[in-house]
Amino acid sequence: MEGKTKKVCKKIILYMLLIALAILWIVPMFTLLATAVKSKADFYTGVSLFEFPENPAWGNFVNAFKKGKLFMYMKNDLIVSGLKVPLGIFIEALAAFALTRLKMRHRTGVFVFFLVGMMLPLQTALVPINVIYSKLGLLNTYFGLFYVYIGFGISFGILILRGFFRGIPREMDEAAYIDGCSKWQLFYRIILPVAKPAVATLVITDFLATWNEYLLGSVIINDNTMKTVPVGLMTFVGEHGTDYGYLCAGVLISLIPVLTVYLIFQRYFVEGMAGAVKM
Amino acid sequence: MNTKKKSGEKTDKAVWLFLLPAGIIYLSVIVVPVFYSFFISLFKWNGIGEKVFVGLENYMKLIKGDKVFYTAVRNNLIWIVLTIFVTMTVSLGFALILNKSFKGRTFFRGFFYFPCVIAPIAVAIIWRWIYNPTFGFINDFFEAIGSEFSQTWISDAKVSLYAVFAASLWQAIGQPMLLFLAGLQGISADILEAATIDGANGAKKFFFVTVPLLKETFVIVIATLIIAAMKVFDVVQGLTGGGPGDATQMLSTYMYSQVFQYNNVGYGTAIACVMVLMMMLVIIPYISITAKED
Amino acid sequence: MKARKVKALLLAAVMVMSTALMGCGGSEGQENGTDNQETAEEDAGKEETAKGDASEGEEEGDVVEVSYWALSTQQDYYEPVVEAFHEENKNIKVNISYYDTDGMKDACKVAASSDTLPNMWFNFGGSLGGFYVDNGLTYNLNDYAEANGWSEHFNENALALCTYDGVISGYPNGYSILGVFYRKDLFEQCGVEVPATFEEFEEVCDTLKANGITPMYAGGLNGWHVMRYVELLIEHYAGADAHDQMNTFDKSYDDENVTKAFEKYKEWVDKGYFPDGFVTMDANDTLMPLSTGECAMTMEGQWQDSNIVKNGLDMDQYGAFAFPSGGSNRLSSFADMTQFNAKNTEEELDACVTFLDYYFSHVLDYTDSYGLPMPTLDSPMPEGQPNVGNLIKLGQENGTFTITDQAFPTEVADVLFNCQDAIANGEMEPAQAGAEIQAAIEAYNNK
Repeated sequence: MEGKTKKVCKKIILYMLLIALAILWIVPMFTLLATAVKSKADFYTGVSLFEFPENPAWGNFVNAFKKGKLFMYMKNDLIVSGLKVPLGIFIEALAAFALTRLKMRHRTGVFVFFLVGMMLPLQTALVPINVIYSKLGLLNTYFGLFYVYIGFGISFGILILRGFFRGIPREMDEAAYIDGCSKWQLFYRIILPVAKPAVATLVITDFLATWNEYLLGSVIINDNTMKTVPVGLMTFVGEHGTDYGYLCAGVLISLIPVLTVYLIFQRYFVEGMAGAVKM
Repeated sequence: MNTKKKSGEKTDKAVWLFLLPAGIIYLSVIVVPVFYSFFISLFKWNGIGEKVFVGLENYMKLIKGDKVFYTAVRNNLIWIVLTIFVTMTVSLGFALILNKSFKGRTFFRGFFYFPCVIAPIAVAIIWRWIYNPTFGFINDFFEAIGSEFSQTWISDAKVSLYAVFAASLWQAIGQPMLLFLAGLQGISADILEAATIDGANGAKKFFFVTVPLLKETFVIVIATLIIAAMKVFDVVQGLTGGGPGDATQMLSTYMYSQVFQYNNVGYGTAIACVMVLMMMLVIIPYISITAKED
Repeated sequence: MKARKVKALLLAAVMVMSTALMGCGGSEGQENGTDNQETAEEDAGKEETAKGDASEGEEEGDVVEVSYWALSTQQDYYEPVVEAFHEENKNIKVNISYYDTDGMKDACKVAASSDTLPNMWFNFGGSLGGFYVDNGLTYNLNDYAEANGWSEHFNENALALCTYDGVISGYPNGYSILGVFYRKDLFEQCGVEVPATFEEFEEVCDTLKANGITPMYAGGLNGWHVMRYVELLIEHYAGADAHDQMNTFDKSYDDENVTKAFEKYKEWVDKGYFPDGFVTMDANDTLMPLSTGECAMTMEGQWQDSNIVKNGLDMDQYGAFAFPSGGSNRLSSFADMTQFNAKNTEEELDACVTFLDYYFSHVLDYTDSYGLPMPTLDSPMPEGQPNVGNLIKLGQENGTFTITDQAFPTEVADVLFNCQDAIANGEMEPAQAGAEIQAAIEAYNNK
């Protein structure tokens, strides 16, 4: 009986904490939404930036979509991100498997070598990439963009997958080898499935990072019809004034694919998954 | 089966096959720019004209007499400390709470993750409004509750770095939270249950059972956070542009100014190289220590 | 046995992957067809394009294709004009790529360093555009201008701002003259009139402030908006001649008049003439505080009129006047231009200029909110935007000076911006600013 009251108390505290945090978190989100549905007049007639307008200008969404050509940008981005994420993760998983599961010398050295890509400031990589790409005719190709995205994603992917692969007990390998598994089978049939939460995390973060990448996208692609979402969104940022309503509406629309990916893959974070890792 | 033991020190030949695809792409995309950057940092170059070889002079100039460089280093170090203590703690806290089973868990997870998907440009705009001293939300709030705590926030050189950090925190929680959540999936409920039966209370359970089991996740999170803190750019550039004065100048924003605005490409690239070196100085020992097989 | 199997499997995996990579490369190529190839070629180097055009010309009847990087804010203006232009000029194809202001600056720098600049690109005047001229990347237009009578075609000042050391290096796109935009009704409400002298200006500010209105908006985030006030204060104390000499680096900034200007600036800050926290406010947000009546004045160019129109505000409420800095009350001005790649062939240059001529003579047919007056002499003034003509007239009567961030190289301008911030925040004495700026100028000269 006593235990039950304690449990209920705990639940109440938990919800109170969550709601308090949610309020703190919600102010900027609300501002984003309120801005997205403000008409131009609302900005200039003293409607507070933190108020929902009386007559929401839902038309901003239509305009951002049509005038801002968001559909085209999203399609382009989907092509690039949709190719980059699965292939990138597969490549990274192969490397992470070698770094954690196979016998090798200088394993840490090789790993750190692979980490440098994360440390390199993107801005300094623009010129050499641009030079090479222009020589190879890769500017203005999705392949070119996709290739650098994979390259720049390798570090993070290996970092994450290596960490999670290391957490998988070695005994599983032994058992698998005894059962007659090859290394490839160990990788494909055992390690990858067990690492599902890690792969799901990587899919979510990697998709987001690729989807929102601006700098490389703006340099490698300069054909308007091939640009990606973040480059396209910048259209709303002006020289002498920014279209805040359109911009925020555009930002919200462009989130849909990212959130969809999140919703699909977040279900791998459920308890019970852990059972698979039991020794 | 025993033959495997014999080859103890040797590298398994299959390693190369597994590393090959990543290796090829990585070499072609990352390694060339790295060498290129180091090469350029040894020159005095405006980005177009003739390159003049100056050896390590760019580095000497940075270390000897560049006040802004030291401000930036200091700010980056503060930022690292803040991310480790604040961002990591908060995101771990969120993950722990959101790992419990309760109604609406999926919603709350998505809700707290949400800010991290918003494009940096929008984040900067919104937070600049929130911090606005006259019509901003925060000062309005303090006014409403009758407090005199109103500030000029990001315009005040003493407060701005922390104010910008607070704004970035809102966005920066999502990713480490997700990583911790994924890490928590690897901890078997049985282990925690066993610990409870052994009489471990909440705090004890956390420090002696959960934290050690999250070891690998911590490596990932700390490494990502330190690198992200050294490279922090978007939120600072968007909110303050490194100002007021140089109060929020970061190595990345300073490098950007030198390379893209002042046309000191060699000098700016030297800053980038120093950034990479500083990251390595922290990351290599950390990785090496944690990589020891137990 | 087992090892061999693993190897075989891995090899297969690698092969699958590489075919996948090739595959998507190939499919991209197919999908985008020749378009892709052409743009890539064009960007890869001008000689190649020239060759390509020549061979193409025989087949398709001499189509010259040129690439243009333009500001995304002008996309709405460009798009209908480009369409109409292609209708009328079958032998020219213009591919425009749009960039935001900062993205444009970065993309051009990267392209300049890697030799991939387009046939023509938008640029700002002064030191920003000058960098490309100094490094020989822009086409020398002197002969072309003479042959085509540019001096009778363009506004003299606009053309002068595109001329570096006697070399015309750009096609003037816009000519901006900055004045004080103010809310007429707020002035009336407070019983003040447009000030004719510096002293009167300060009185106006005092009265506005006493009525609970912040006199001037300033968005210091990027420095240059606050600079528009500071440079006028320097103009006020130092006078026109000395100010000009200082901005061409012929006279030291370490000067008592500069100190006086910064002291006055500090006084204004302390009196609350600018909004709280203005040093990190966005200069793009000038319209909001003015329309809500929080601020009464801001320092803007003629584009403000089009912003007012575009955002559906009441134009009757807004007027513009020259800041009474003394002397002839000069106004600051700057130019935007289109620069042409030095590697352009004559046909390409011709195609570029033909397009720009067409654009500037037709753009007003397609929009009623075009922001800038045409840089041409006989340019029609946009309708319903009274301050555009007003400021141009003031510029001609009072004279203009080049705005400081175009007169200065960026690294010197940034030092000025930092001084503005530091003085406003009380971290620097006004007397130190001149010396700091002069030190930056000398460091730049010795670079």
